[in-house]
Amino acid sequence: MENALLIGLARQSALGRQLDAIANNIANVNTSGFKADNTLFEEYLNTPAHEDNFVGSDRRISFVQDRGTYRDMTQGPVEETKNPLDVAIDGSAFLAVQTQGGERYTRDGNLHINSQGQLVTVAGNPVLGTSGPIVFQQTDHDINITPDGTITVVEGSGRTDSIRGTLRLVSFTDAQKMLKEGFNLYAAGEGGAPQADTKSRIQQGFIEKSNVNSVAEMSRMMEVSRAYTSIANLMQQQAELQKTAIQQLADVPT
Amino acid sequence: MQALHTAATGMAAQELSVQVISNNIANLQTTGYKKQTAEFQDLIYQHIARVGAQASAQGTILPIGIDIGGGVKTVGTPRSMTQGTLSQTGNDLDLSITGEGFFKILMPDGTFQYTRDGTFQMDNTGRVVNAQGNPVQPTITIPQNATGLTVNAQGQVSVQLPGSATTTSTIVGTIGLTRFVNKGGLLPVGNNDFTDTPSSGAPQDGTAALEGYGNINQGSLENANVDVVSEMSNLIAAQRAYEMNAKVITAADQMMQSATAMFR
Repeated sequence: MENALLIGLARQSALGRQLDAIANNIANVNTSGFKADNTLFEEYLNTPAHEDNFVGSDRRISFVQDRGTYRDMTQGPVEETKNPLDVAIDGSAFLAVQTQGGERYTRDGNLHINSQGQLVTVAGNPVLGTSGPIVFQQTDHDINITPDGTITVVEGSGRTDSIRGTLRLVSFTDAQKMLKEGFNLYAAGEGGAPQADTKSRIQQGFIEKSNVNSVAEMSRMMEVSRAYTSIANLMQQQAELQKTAIQQLADVPT
Repeated sequence: MQALHTAATGMAAQELSVQVISNNIANLQTTGYKKQTAEFQDLIYQHIARVGAQASAQGTILPIGIDIGGGVKTVGTPRSMTQGTLSQTGNDLDLSITGEGFFKILMPDGTFQYTRDGTFQMDNTGRVVNAQGNPVQPTITIPQNATGLTVNAQGQVSVQLPGSATTTSTIVGTIGLTRFVNKGGLLPVGNNDFTDTPSSGAPQDGTAALEGYGNINQGSLENANVDVVSEMSNLIAAQRAYEMNAKVITAADQMMQSATAMFR
């Protein structure tokens, strides 16, 4: 009889975690380059002592287990900002970023220039070009970034473009296995070695927004909330059942 | 339930976003104003089952893990230093810059501030000053009785002095411009002024129309670079995101309520 309670408990803890994932997606609905997480559940069959030789054999009971979260790696909508240092990546590539902990990857194309003239992310980590960090000279202006990531500038009072580097675009054989580190950064993790990506294109003056589908997240959230309540009701009925059984069985006629 | 706190970070972030947008809209008509945007990042993840972890002794690895994020944080409110459009005013001392440079202003305490707002006037001693009465650097004094004040693209201020031939004009000074490696790193101090910071890099004084400092245009002012339409759509996005985060809190609250109401 306790099985129903335990199955209910399994469902509730899974739903709790699903809501956590939804809450994180909704919190990041306006985060540039954010990729939504979805939860995946699986049935977990438990085999208690059972007897299959009778007609109408004992049924197995199945619990629910949260199997994992998988990332929706689809491209997010692209917003025009007209800022020359905003880049959106059209394709599956990532920008390579140099951090304290080593090389990391990001889809957040909100770039800036620091006091040393280096091209950096909004958090101040240098963005890597094909030959190391990209550094601008003090008199550079009119920065242009071509679709293949080549950065050209006009230097001083000159009239011709000078090349300052090429953004390093990398892709992974299994981007799903990359590790989300937060701060819009991904570590390569088990995703394989970064490979140069020649298919992806850079769009200057655009920003890739979060790919969270807010309507889907809201409906998923309602589903979770309703399922949680209905499981709670079911468990309550089970408890009532037990209570009645205990009371009535123990009711010794006098 | 972590969802409650996660949604709270979302609400805080969107509230800040609305603040930044409202400041942009409030400064729609401010000369030389540069718009700001709120930029967000996801918080660190709780790796409940790490992707790529060993799933069995046979060496199979988990194709996906369980990563639960902790919400969102504001990483900064960077300023977009793009060129604003110019509007003609016809005033002799209304100057605008097309390019990278800033006007350098000497403050009463001897420090310098930098601005894109070229609404200048003359004070009682003939110095060219900004709206607060602080002189533009290098200090230029316009002689009394001078007429026909012109400022060319290089910033040279020339006037016609009484008594001289009408065709000759005298250069009384040159308005300098200052550049920064990272204009976005300047610290706004109000009154349309900025000061340099370790992030902006040291100010580099120079001459207009050279080395990308930008040209000075007489008789026009630089409008704010705020784009109303994109600000309005950002406002809607921020407001809806705020509401959605509030709904998550309600849902988490309902779930906890039904959990506590289970056994009475």
